[in-house]
Amino acid sequence: MSEEANASERSVVGYTMSDAPPVDLRREATPANLDPHGVDAPHADTSLSDEYDAATTRVGLVDRSDLGRLRVTGTDAIDLLNRLSTNKLNDLQVGHGAYTVVTTNKGRIIDLLFVLRLEDHLSVATSPEAHQVVADWIEFYTFVEDVSVEDKSGKSATLGLMGPSAVALLDRVSKADASAIAPYASVAASIEGIEVLIVRTDFTGSPAFDLVLQSEELTKLRQHLLDAGSDSGITPVSEDAFEVLRIVQGRPRYGNELTEEFNPLEANLIEYLHFNKECYIGQEVVARLNTYDKVQKHLVGLSWEGEYDPHLTSELATEGKSVGTLTSAAVSPRTRRRIGLGYVRNAQTEPGTKLVMGSGDTETEVRVEELPLTP
Amino acid sequence: MPKAPSKPLTISITEDAAQYVRSFAEQGGKPDSDIRVGVKGGGCSGMTYILDLADGPGEDDKIIEEHGLRLFIDKKSYVFLAGTTLEYSGGLNGKGFVFNNPNAKTTCGCGTSFSV
Repeated sequence: MSEEANASERSVVGYTMSDAPPVDLRREATPANLDPHGVDAPHADTSLSDEYDAATTRVGLVDRSDLGRLRVTGTDAIDLLNRLSTNKLNDLQVGHGAYTVVTTNKGRIIDLLFVLRLEDHLSVATSPEAHQVVADWIEFYTFVEDVSVEDKSGKSATLGLMGPSAVALLDRVSKADASAIAPYASVAASIEGIEVLIVRTDFTGSPAFDLVLQSEELTKLRQHLLDAGSDSGITPVSEDAFEVLRIVQGRPRYGNELTEEFNPLEANLIEYLHFNKECYIGQEVVARLNTYDKVQKHLVGLSWEGEYDPHLTSELATEGKSVGTLTSAAVSPRTRRRIGLGYVRNAQTEPGTKLVMGSGDTETEVRVEELPLTP
Repeated sequence: MPKAPSKPLTISITEDAAQYVRSFAEQGGKPDSDIRVGVKGGGCSGMTYILDLADGPGEDDKIIEEHGLRLFIDKKSYVFLAGTTLEYSGGLNGKGFVFNNPNAKTTCGCGTSFSV
């Protein structure tokens, strides 16, 4: 064997699954905006509370352009993604999508993807921080299959539209019959001359739409929606208000709840797991955990009074024993109490259970709450 | 720095297994067929073995000849199968063709998938 061939083969052999992507990127904690009239509010006269209300009772508009976007092509693309993740993807019709969890061979979470099947490619939305990790993962598992991955993150814009009046507004501006778009389906439309792909991703847990468009058109579309929706009380929703909404709904986030420390059953992602599909990485582990009821802990809502603790890996304990971990926290815009998410052992997941966070001067009583939380 | 002990970077097939391939090929009406071995991404442990009859090698394939049979392997699969022996486990309780892969850290219950 030539030296050159030897060298290239050694370097690939050295690249095993243990040092393959991803890395557990636990996010830096960022406290939710504690000041209702804080500097992060996009308009001087809107408060965090008003943004939250708009998102849940009227129409909210949020910039989701930081989502990772991979363009996956090739005749084997859908089959490979089907073998790398938990949901059944290989019978997706054109124009339809699905959420699916990419898992390690031990059934641990790498990321939660939204895979949309389009005419000539798959549009894969990843968590903002995970696009490289997921692209590398797909490439690592591509052998002779006809699969190509292009990282298109940052090359397009995405506006999220949510709230009970979102459908009516979309109908008005796009003539697309938004109410007829099934969950996870999409339709190409034109809004004020701007080409948009309307995808019903339900990213809040309720009907919600991602409008995917060219980056150059973002400002124009955003303004048009704000104008057209003013009678419906449309409000731009800041990152902080959106984070509150996410926590209230119990939706896991990359680096907080979506990490390699946990599996999708613990993260309450069972609706994105298919138990009657072809082999995928980690399937045996996930299937056994479910069949034999061996899931040890679950993601729950939490609330507490007092100071906000910025260390989001804060341990939760009862009777001196560690029983869980706090993974996300925010301030309720309505009640001002603290709300959060955490993984807690099954015996302590009953709503109303009291746990302890911190110790000594910082010891705080934490209450387990049902999801969705009462904001 | 001491040189790490290296496994022979090749894939081999036992005589038994080679014979079974030939009789299988004959039964299928392709007596001169060779075989393709490889790895496919996905599968419950991470990777899945591939074993197929093949008429000829692909452009970038490695070719290994043993017991009168040619094995075609694509370059990437070759790396993950280094040191593997393709065996045949016959008899009433036999498993059929088995990949005996020293690189595999874990395998799934049915043995068709492995991780490195």
